[in-house]
Amino acid sequence: MFNNLVKYSDVNVILPMDEKPNKPVKITITLPTDAYFLSGIRDFTLNMTKNMTGFSEQWSYRFQSVVDELCNNAIEHGSAPGEEIILTFISKADYSFEVVVEDTGTGINKYTAEQMQELLKEREAVVGDRYMGLRGRGLPKIVAEWTDELIFEDRDGGGLKVHAKKYLRKEEDEVILAEDKKRDPTHINLTA
Amino acid sequence: MAEATITFEDVQVDGDKQVKLIKVAGQLDESNVDDEAKKIYKLIEDVGGNLSLIFDFSELEYMNSKSIGYLTDWYSKVSASGGKVAIAQAKSNIVDILQVVGLTQLINTFPSIEEAKVAVV
Repeated sequence: MFNNLVKYSDVNVILPMDEKPNKPVKITITLPTDAYFLSGIRDFTLNMTKNMTGFSEQWSYRFQSVVDELCNNAIEHGSAPGEEIILTFISKADYSFEVVVEDTGTGINKYTAEQMQELLKEREAVVGDRYMGLRGRGLPKIVAEWTDELIFEDRDGGGLKVHAKKYLRKEEDEVILAEDKKRDPTHINLTA
Repeated sequence: MAEATITFEDVQVDGDKQVKLIKVAGQLDESNVDDEAKKIYKLIEDVGGNLSLIFDFSELEYMNSKSIGYLTDWYSKVSASGGKVAIAQAKSNIVDILQVVGLTQLINTFPSIEEAKVAVV
């Protein structure tokens, strides 16, 4: 379904999903400003992360949530209905996985890069473990917690560009997972 | 659009307490969560006080931050009227996201409905 939406890729052939390419793979998808399409984007993210990056299944699910939350923000705030959002996935197998989400800055609640940085700081201060609010968890507790680099950038011509990047560090992740497991007996450790 | 279904079932318990088993299946995301959430708000309103909830997440595949916000709000409403809330049979990716936002500090998760039932009664 989403093959039609791939606008640009630096690979010339479609790679079988079970073969990890040696060079970075960049895939760009343009979506209408509509949450209707997000389930397809989540499926794509999960499959790409599981099969082409070297990340564990657990991190594949986590990155699926990161992408979904960033797209929701772009749709809700950045791009007006009828406009579009642009997602770019950059995978360096066994090294890093990055998503860049761009909006057009036509939304009624648009933010600049500086405002987003401030918003993130404010929410990180407010949204603790026992936070009872209805909204406000996505950016500080999912996107920021599950990425190593989170960069907000103003686009030329208007709009926001958000870079979220995670490096593959298997040994460190195994230690974190072991600690999580000790803290919460209901936590199940997923392995690829 | 993501598909999600929410169904309710009475749980038989002794005494005046009402316990509802709420089975959530599919994917809760921006495209459907507001509509699905209304069903649970209506249930809480219709039953009134003395209500406890067990969420059966065995067939829940995805939930976003907004759906976690709703879950927190239902917990607040039910707790305020003396009830309890528990989550049962959640998949590991669901437990993972509930943990990262801190919700497992508020709502306990259980591997089975029977264990959740013991916790809320």
